[in-house]
Amino acid sequence: MEKRLKNIILEHSDEIIKKWLEKLDQSKIAEYGETISQESIEQTNREFVNVIFSNIESDGGTDDLHEFSEKIVNLGWPLGYLTEGMQAFRSVTIKVILEDIGETNSNDEFLSIMEGVNDWVDPIKNRLINEYSHNWTNIVSLQKVALQELSAPLIPVMEGITVMPLVGTIDTDRAKLIMENLLNGVIKNHAEVVLIDITGVPVVDTMVAHHIIQAAEAVRLVGSQCILVGIRPEIAQTIVNLGIDLRNFPTKSSLQKGFRTALEMTGAKVVSESESEGDEIENILNSIEKE
Amino acid sequence: MRIPILKLHEYLLISVQVDLDDQTAMQFQEDLLSKIHESGATGVVLDLTSVDIIDSFIAKVLGDVVSMADLMGAKVVFTGIQPAVSMTLIDIGIHLQDVPTALDLEQGLIKLRRELEEK
Amino acid sequence: MKGTLSNVPIAKELDIVGARQTGRNIANDLGFSSVDQARIATAISELARNIYLYAKKGEITFQQVEGVAPVGLKIIAKDNGPGIKDISKSMIDGYSTSGGLGAGLPGVKRLMDDFDIMSSDEGTTIHVIKWLR
Repeated sequence: MEKRLKNIILEHSDEIIKKWLEKLDQSKIAEYGETISQESIEQTNREFVNVIFSNIESDGGTDDLHEFSEKIVNLGWPLGYLTEGMQAFRSVTIKVILEDIGETNSNDEFLSIMEGVNDWVDPIKNRLINEYSHNWTNIVSLQKVALQELSAPLIPVMEGITVMPLVGTIDTDRAKLIMENLLNGVIKNHAEVVLIDITGVPVVDTMVAHHIIQAAEAVRLVGSQCILVGIRPEIAQTIVNLGIDLRNFPTKSSLQKGFRTALEMTGAKVVSESESEGDEIENILNSIEKE
Repeated sequence: MRIPILKLHEYLLISVQVDLDDQTAMQFQEDLLSKIHESGATGVVLDLTSVDIIDSFIAKVLGDVVSMADLMGAKVVFTGIQPAVSMTLIDIGIHLQDVPTALDLEQGLIKLRRELEEK
Repeated sequence: MKGTLSNVPIAKELDIVGARQTGRNIANDLGFSSVDQARIATAISELARNIYLYAKKGEITFQQVEGVAPVGLKIIAKDNGPGIKDISKSMIDGYSTSGGLGAGLPGVKRLMDDFDIMSSDEGTTIHVIKWLR
């Protein structure tokens, strides 16, 4: 029975492909993305049907399913493309088979045809979906790693002073990561002072403030000091309104001001060259006046 | 097991090289206080670089030592607390707020000198 | 997947150190980061000390488990001591009947991911889990 169905499908492959492509054209693939050209849709459709047929011929077990679903993921097409495609294939195939063996009134025969077709279509569909979601999970975990790498860079500015700019929302997981990077960086760079710049943090609520305070306390324990910089007016307002106590470590509105404080803390300061020249001229003028 | 306490001019230097158990920590508290008493040291640097666990009990013993030494006129600075230890202490809610800290022995000595000069 | 990895009896003060060293090694073998190893070892230290201080005798069991993450380390601290009279009080920061910092149990809860405590006058059992992320 199965052999017979398979032969019918393979004999009528051209017809099935033609009808299937027509059916797909009518469906909503074009809506998936306006940027997808008609050409690439047609090309992908043809590839899709080739993959299906090569799997029917070889009774499954080919690698092209994997490659094809990976391609769909990379193109950014939704899972719906694959499921709709397989559904269309199922209905087209059943129709073609029924036409081939002529009208049948036997429910049993009809059912066995349905079952026979499903036995081919479902494993392919399942594998496609599994491969698709597997690829998708891979991408998500890769992006997570990439995001973590972006998460908390530590910039040694000069001897003893390091800056950590924070960008984006801080949740508990990120806060832990930030704290780890921060402390390891302090040790690695031998930083006496760390400036934490929160200019890029959109919202500072009690949670975020709590994480920042904990990080600052941990920095103090390893023997360094924190200065919190980049406090915008609205953040100063929320901090006070929420009753968050940041008095235990210095805060500054800008990185520049914080950096000056950091220099003082490490026993250095910025001296302007022109200023000292000015002093010299003044000294000369003074000495002339005295004469 | 006893932790060796070295004397350098008016300072005492301690580098803890063992996993601190309760008994060793208590013994150390006693040893340090009597050493401060007999040497008249004004500053103590306690280097914890090689310590990889400080639980709440050890933290209390060490924190107490700082207050006790302070009563006897000696300033204690902790140096070299490892990031993992620091994070763990913060997690269990121990901040050692009254204890001065520094990155390493050298910075610790500088800090001690600065704090003693301020007095 | 669920299996007991090790069993450390607690009867004397030095067993606290033994338990946390065993725990740290297991955590290392399971692939926990050095920071999580410190968290786990510290939590074990607190649990073992509680057994030693309040019940004199007990044991710490290490199990590998799976759940919200594929790999987790479950630590069971079990004793047959007098039990904790007021569990909710023992979970408050700064509460101590022994003159400690009172950071023990609430500290353990913060160090680990899952925390479960059962106590009666026949003893206390605490289950904690750290998930490998």
